Amino acid sequence: MTLMEIFASPLLTASLLGLFVVGYLVLAGSDVGLGMLMPYVTRTPEQRRQVVAAIAPYFLASEVWLVAAVGVMAGMVPDVEHVVIATLWPVLVLLLAAWLLRDAGLWFRARVDSSGWRSACDTAIVAGSWLLATSWGVALAGLLAGELTLSPFTVVCTAAVVSLFALRGAAFGAERLVGATEAESADVAARATRALARVALATVLLTVAVAVGLGVLPAVRVEAAVLLTAVAVAALAATTGPTGPMLSRHTSAVAIAVPGLIVALSVDLSVAQLPGMTGVFVWSMLLPTVPVMLLGQVWLYRMTRRPAAEPTFFA
Amino acid sequence: MFEDPLALARLQFALTAATHYMFVALTLGLAPYVLFTQLSATLRGDRSRMTAVRFWGGLYLVNYGMGVLSGLVMELQLALNWSGLQEAFGYSFAAPLAIETMTAFFVESTFLGLWIFGWDRMGRWAHLFCFLVVTATAYSSAWWVLVSNGFLRHPVGFEMVDGIAHMNDPVAMLTNPAALFAFGHVVTGALALGALVVGAVCAYHLMRGWDHDGVFRRGIGYSAIMMCVMPFLVVTFGGMQFSYFDRDPPTTGLTRTAEEIEAIEAAGQSSFVSVANTTGDVVMMTSWALMFFLGPLMVLVFPLIAERRGAMGRMLRLAPGPRLFGGRPPWWVRWSLAPLLFAPVLPYLASVGGWVYRETNRQPWVVVHHLTTAEAVTPLSPGAAVVSFTLFTVAFGVLAVVTYWLLIRYARRGPEGGPLAERRQVEPAEPVPPVHTF
Ligand code: HDD
Ligand code: HEM
Ligand code: HEM
Repeated sequence: MTLMEIFASPLLTASLLGLFVVGYLVLAGSDVGLGMLMPYVTRTPEQRRQVVAAIAPYFLASEVWLVAAVGVMAGMVPDVEHVVIATLWPVLVLLLAAWLLRDAGLWFRARVDSSGWRSACDTAIVAGSWLLATSWGVALAGLLAGELTLSPFTVVCTAAVVSLFALRGAAFGAERLVGATEAESADVAARATRALARVALATVLLTVAVAVGLGVLPAVRVEAAVLLTAVAVAALAATTGPTGPMLSRHTSAVAIAVPGLIVALSVDLSVAQLPGMTGVFVWSMLLPTVPVMLLGQVWLYRMTRRPAAEPTFFA
Repeated sequence: MFEDPLALARLQFALTAATHYMFVALTLGLAPYVLFTQLSATLRGDRSRMTAVRFWGGLYLVNYGMGVLSGLVMELQLALNWSGLQEAFGYSFAAPLAIETMTAFFVESTFLGLWIFGWDRMGRWAHLFCFLVVTATAYSSAWWVLVSNGFLRHPVGFEMVDGIAHMNDPVAMLTNPAALFAFGHVVTGALALGALVVGAVCAYHLMRGWDHDGVFRRGIGYSAIMMCVMPFLVVTFGGMQFSYFDRDPPTTGLTRTAEEIEAIEAAGQSSFVSVANTTGDVVMMTSWALMFFLGPLMVLVFPLIAERRGAMGRMLRLAPGPRLFGGRPPWWVRWSLAPLLFAPVLPYLASVGGWVYRETNRQPWVVVHHLTTAEAVTPLSPGAAVVSFTLFTVAFGVLAVVTYWLLIRYARRGPEGGPLAERRQVEPAEPVPPVHTF
């Protein structure tokens, strides 16, 4: 195979797209999920400030994964993009609105020093996070079923995805909210991981049952879906046990990656061969940047591990 | 018009793009100044210059937030509302955008996060490096977007295979005059815009006689120098853009014959679009003419303020310390600075006018001589188009107004009150709810 053929291969393109989508789910799942749980894990204004400080600036580095995924779809797999948009148009509009609402809350929160302003922004963050997770659930159901309908399958699938986001957020909160003075929010989040893992496990199993019972997934490749679902179920089951809070950081990541992988591997999206020149062009620009991309992501991830004691730009 | 999804989609794209550009133009204009100030602060280990970095950096961030939000909507909107464009020209028009999102945006946003969080957590050279990356990627992002946009205006470097454009000459795409000259024009215009915003903020504080750590004196010096240079470069690159105006793109004829093209162009005339086109052109050129005189005038005023010692300084009653003047500055100093407060309006108007001019020049084509606007739009029901239009236009209006309000507020507060200022006082205690809510 020549280099041009390698760069043009559908497998490589699909892997790149899959990587960005899964990266988004795993990384942004953390800050979206924690945003969802904010009312639950906080009680005082200072605790709310810490939650926002844990989400930002982390969200800056996680939402770019989705921006990149959209870019890959537009420039490298326009056919897939066409199908996805034709199927999902209304829910994508909703998703965009939720994204905007949530980010506006995050950007504006620390800008005005009044409790009314802050609670309005907190509301935007929480509502936006829930709406975002819900949109992802509906979008997944739409992709799996091949159309957007208000069926029992859509409902349970959405519930499963939402609970996976919440679980990821709780795991993230348990890790990042351990403050210098108090760790109450972190404890609450850690305790929530077990309960959320049970909810997620139940909804995932229910989704499978409904899908099989109603036979709504004609287009899905069964082997890959079964295997991946088994992985998610195992990860969730492990998290329901007494060591759940400790394991949750990794198990929640595995579990939330599964929906993305199921779409990538078992829905027939027919990624086409790239026109050779486009492949060479895109990859020759992308490859030299990869080290910088990784450096930035890892650096930010490590630096924000310690929670900010002092107010920063965002909170 | 509101029953026509095509008109709505076009109007929506135009509004989103114009808003997006207002914010990114300031990003592009301010980034080099912040970088340059941080470099000189780092080299000298100078606290007062670091104060300036925190001040201008704070404004940069507030503005950047809206740049990101509007950018997200641009990206998704292109996908949602212009699927015909993606289908036929995805591999060519959207490939540079794909590269941009993966490289420039990805890196920019991550390193900006590092810069925001890294003030006290990393060495000063590492911190400077983060902003260097932010600046470089902001410019490369503008470059890739303009390669895409230039492709629409002057499509080059592809062949048609079964109705789909396949790129066959990336070099031609990268050296497209419609991208190269536009980049030069956009960058120099943005630098002028940034300089006038800096100038306006400095003028506001100097008129009150305040000059914390020399932040505003240095700022107005930068502004004066830039405004002497940039208008020349702006007009040079602008003039170069006329070079491809009456030239057919080399790919003409790949999809349509000359007769078909002529018929489409004859049928596609719209008086609304041509009025917008002329207005954009006139607004841009007029603003440029007004700006042209600003730079030299600023150079005349600037030494009066910059000088602190010597005969001139004594005559002006310039004082050492945070108060620039011995009291309120003399009336003629105030009056000569006052026009600067409003000067940023000019480059903002010119930028939006310039874009309206460029984008309406293309009509009725989205990709000149290949794809018409009507073919490119996603087939939408009128109801869906109205909902999406209303939702995003209202949301955008609110976000943009809040952002400009915040920018003005922070600019007026000065270095002490900025979002990145040191030693911000702890939030006043809010009443703690007495019971657990969980
Ligand atoms: C500070 C902003 C600013 C100023 C002072 C000017 N322009 Fe401009 N102009 C822009 C900002 C801009 C812009 C927003 O950046 C545009 C839109 C697209 C582009 O490439 O640049 C633009 C577009 C644009 C185009 C359209 C190119 C096309 O259709 O492909 C031309 C021919 C010019 N300009 C020419 C000029 C001339 C001759 C100017 C001086 C008399 C001038 N511009 C001042
Ligand atoms: C950021 C500054 C920009 C502004 C202010 C702007 C402005 C406009 C305007 C006024 C229109 C409506 C034209 C009409 O209906 O006659 C339009 C349409 C459009 N623009 Fe832009 N534009 C900008 C950048 C871009 C870029 C960078 C791209 C692509 C990469 C782009 C792609 C389009 C498309 C696809 C349409 C719809 C089709 C059309 O009406 O021609 N624009 N834009
Ligand atoms: C001439 C037109 C444009 C220029 C100069 C430009 C430049 C920029 C810059 C510098 C940023 C960084 C944000 C900021 O600094 O405020 C940005 C953000 C963004 N732009 Fe544009 N852009 C243009 C048009 C477009 C178009 C047509 C699209 C959609 C296809 C787009 C999509 C985005 C996205 C998605 C972001 C956010 C990226 C992030 O997460 O950081 N932009 N743009």
